Amino acid sequence: MDLSYSQISSIFHFATEQARTIVWLQYINLIVCLGFFLTVVGLLAFAIIKFRQRPGDKEPEQTEGDTKLEIAWTLIPFLIFLALGVLTFIVMSSVNPPVGKRQPDIIVIGHQFWWEYRYPRYGVVTANEFYLPVGADLMLELRGADVIHSFWVPDFGQKMDAIPGHPNNLFLKPIRKGVFLGQCSEYCGSQHSLMRIVANVVSPEEFYKWIAIQHHVPNLPTDKISQHGQELFMSKTCVQCHNIAGTKAVAMAAPDLTHIATRKTIGAAVIENNVENLTQWIINPQQFKPGCLMPNMRLPESEAHDMAVYLENLK
Amino acid sequence: MKDRVILGMTLFVASEAVFFLMLVLAYASFHKVTGATAAAVLDPVKTGIFTVALLSSSFTMWLAERAREKETRGVGFWLFATIVLGSIFMIGQGAEYVHLITDKITISRDLFGSTFFTLTGFHGLHVIVGLILLALLFGLAVFGRKHEPTAIGMQAIAIYWHFVDAVWIVVFSMVYLWRYV
Amino acid sequence: MTDSARTHHTFNWLPDIPEYHGLWSWVTSIDHKQIGIMYILSALFFFIAGLVLALIMRIQLMLPMNHFVSQDTYNQIFTMHGTTMIFLMGMPLLFGFSVYLVPLMIGARDMAFPRLNALGFWIFLFGALLLYFSFVGGGAPAAGWFSYAPLTEKGFLSNPGVDYWALSLLVMGIGSVATGLNLIVTVVTLRAPGMKLQHVPLFVWMAVTTGWLVVLSLPALNAAIIMILFDRLLNTHFFNPTHGGSAVLWQNYFWFFGHPEVYILILPGFGVVTEIIPVFSRKTLYGAGFMAASTVAIGFLSFGVWMHHMFATGLGFSVLYVFALSSLLIAVPTGVKVWTWIATMWGGSIRFATAMLFATAFIIQFTIGGLSGVTFAVIPLDWQLTDSYFVVAHIHYVLLGGMMFAMIAGIYYWFPKVTGRMLSETLGKWHFWLMVLGFNGTFFGMHILGAFGMPRRVWTYPHGMPIVTGINFFSTLCAFLLAFSIFLFFWNMIYSFFRGKVAGDNPWEAWTLEWCCSSPPPPENFDRLPPVHSRRPLWDLTHPEEVKQKVGGHAS
Repeated sequence: MDLSYSQISSIFHFATEQARTIVWLQYINLIVCLGFFLTVVGLLAFAIIKFRQRPGDKEPEQTEGDTKLEIAWTLIPFLIFLALGVLTFIVMSSVNPPVGKRQPDIIVIGHQFWWEYRYPRYGVVTANEFYLPVGADLMLELRGADVIHSFWVPDFGQKMDAIPGHPNNLFLKPIRKGVFLGQCSEYCGSQHSLMRIVANVVSPEEFYKWIAIQHHVPNLPTDKISQHGQELFMSKTCVQCHNIAGTKAVAMAAPDLTHIATRKTIGAAVIENNVENLTQWIINPQQFKPGCLMPNMRLPESEAHDMAVYLENLK
Repeated sequence: MKDRVILGMTLFVASEAVFFLMLVLAYASFHKVTGATAAAVLDPVKTGIFTVALLSSSFTMWLAERAREKETRGVGFWLFATIVLGSIFMIGQGAEYVHLITDKITISRDLFGSTFFTLTGFHGLHVIVGLILLALLFGLAVFGRKHEPTAIGMQAIAIYWHFVDAVWIVVFSMVYLWRYV
Repeated sequence: MTDSARTHHTFNWLPDIPEYHGLWSWVTSIDHKQIGIMYILSALFFFIAGLVLALIMRIQLMLPMNHFVSQDTYNQIFTMHGTTMIFLMGMPLLFGFSVYLVPLMIGARDMAFPRLNALGFWIFLFGALLLYFSFVGGGAPAAGWFSYAPLTEKGFLSNPGVDYWALSLLVMGIGSVATGLNLIVTVVTLRAPGMKLQHVPLFVWMAVTTGWLVVLSLPALNAAIIMILFDRLLNTHFFNPTHGGSAVLWQNYFWFFGHPEVYILILPGFGVVTEIIPVFSRKTLYGAGFMAASTVAIGFLSFGVWMHHMFATGLGFSVLYVFALSSLLIAVPTGVKVWTWIATMWGGSIRFATAMLFATAFIIQFTIGGLSGVTFAVIPLDWQLTDSYFVVAHIHYVLLGGMMFAMIAGIYYWFPKVTGRMLSETLGKWHFWLMVLGFNGTFFGMHILGAFGMPRRVWTYPHGMPIVTGINFFSTLCAFLLAFSIFLFFWNMIYSFFRGKVAGDNPWEAWTLEWCCSSPPPPENFDRLPPVHSRRPLWDLTHPEEVKQKVGGHAS
């Protein structure tokens, strides 16, 4: 699958205010660690070379210790780590302030093996790909629907676990536009590896445009193939799990498909979203994501194709 | 504590203490949810009587140890008394379990069932093991040779028995008496 | 003191020690030396099993979206790899070293409870076989070696894999507690006359501290395991959020055990290295007092850091901060040890036998692992790096680059004592250099993988990520190099067992009591002991003037 439109995520890139704060702490930590490491390696290298056994060596002096030196080598690292501790306090407070009574802007729910996103202020529910306005001070609430998952987009600065029965919070202030990839980071079962996150950070105008699209109830299909596809969708077991606004499919157990045509990928960024892929997915999702909770539907190709055409018109 | 058997038993008791601590903490961590049930279905007075039996058995065990040290005749008698008192406690626990289960309060019903039965169940299991050990001591006292059971052996098992009692004090307070706090 | 006739045999291992002949003598043995050897052989066997599992994982991860194994198979394999290496390799290896060496080093005839010692071993073996039986008995566990709830609840993992995991660990945990307490009681009650606690070799000191950690932390795991078994088999609700239980409670219990566990794994390795470095530097241990004190400090602190495995679970600011500080703090006594080892080498006359090579590499690699660990204590960095391949790098640097290198050093050092023959130094050096290259090549890149966002416990990763793909590919190649070096090691052990140079009592000119009996030691260990006034009784024998000055005072 082509991910070239997205950034290479790394902990040294930052797309949020929080990540930028954490990045300079990373560099400080790296310098401290390098300092310790080079000291150890340097001393060892010197010792190995200078004090190597040579022929005719007598027994060396049996020094038992030097209390002053030992106190020094206990105290100095202690002070360095204490300094790291102070920096930890500062960065922690800035990156994860107390929530207080603040309501979340986005509720992220981890499912086996997909992500649900809800925007309470706008009444929007979507899945797997979500949008954020650049420059906004956002707070996410993370929940787990079944087992523990973990929401991690490295460029956003931190991960936070989505634990059933134990909601958590994450603060994000995006400062850079783009498409940022992440992955579930707590082993959650068969397809933990293919539970990706696609975060689109856009300008506020584009964000409201996206919200408007999410509010829009798709029109009824006009061409025969799509109509046939819709009939099939509503008559089969699809409606037991999926929701499409404006139809009788109202279940919440699986990704919301109301605007599936606007997504770039299917199955939490496993395959690209187009009619051919969606057809194959509908026939048997297990061939792309074995262990995902959508069963092998075993549909004839023509039926799956018509359903895929219908779904690809849901904008 | 230089004797290896006593030291070994003490360390074993320390490890069991950590084990029970974990079960107690599980009970405590769910108390907001389970406290009401505990207050409603448990009878501290009845169980208190059986508790007295168990705690008295520690006293009789101590008397048995004293008798052994002084090499007087009472060793078998006091061991027997300890076993009887311990058994009274177990019968009481058994009756409690029967009463709860006939009231449909089982281990799988809810968090109260889960934590209560696990905690008291493991305690009961440890009491049973203790009773078996005491029975061995009693058998040796009555049918064994002159120096059996050894003072060290009795001391070690006494440490275990007192530990089982101490755990019960904690469990009883947490489970039966918390409502009064 | 020695019987020179015993050391000049040519083929059979112990021809003059009838007590060790025949399989039955081993199965029924309560001799700490036989039990120690059986522990170590079992550990080495399971090391190979865990290594094979690791190679399968590495082949799967060599290429993106690879299908060498299915995701369900992979998930069982990584679970079994972790569980095997920690419980079926690490624990028996450290117990084997400890029960073999501790009685010898304190001049005792055996452990305080020889039968309990045997029971501990057989319980371990039974538990280990039970775990592996799961492969054919319904499916191996697939919830990771740490089995987080609620994934382990019956609703999500209905096959018996998790039950096998839980039961086998419960069984092995009981055996571990028995061995831990045996070690403590042995050192407290059976030391040679004149051997005060400050005279015990540092390996013994670390073994006792490990014993305390085992006695106090394994019960927490046992309690947690009982609760998850009850959840699965009796329908209780301890960890089931849908019925009011708490998923985080499992993590608290598991890591309350799990953190001391990693110190249980490393402390004996510290002890091994602390014995080897002075002998090969021809100097007494520098700062032995601080070394002993830092061990005790680590023991205490190890119970106060467990939540650093849970920094991303939403713990609340104050709790987070307390554990950040304690985790930073525990780095200090660990650092003290590194400085001590270097200072011991400083001004010495260092000979680089293979054991010393491994001990030196240990210092460097453990330092790297320790520094990546300190990185996690800085919570905002942990929030980025936890659950990523950075953790995989960290754990392998401390456990493989650290513990395993130390124990291999110990095998090169004590193999002559145990078998009466030297391991080949030539093969040893090949083993060493290939293992250093293979190990670092496999695992150093994983720091970068984590930095680039690759999470742990994934069976594959997407196309279109050249750095991630490249590092994974290179890591797999190096993993095979690492495996080859291990093969050389095993070849060295097997070959040298039959054809190695005869060792004699004290081939390394070492100073602790185990070197004054024959190689291998007779069943009763010692018929006579030298006087013990210090940590180095054999050094004292050759330096009577120094002893005269120090007797009654503070000794080395």
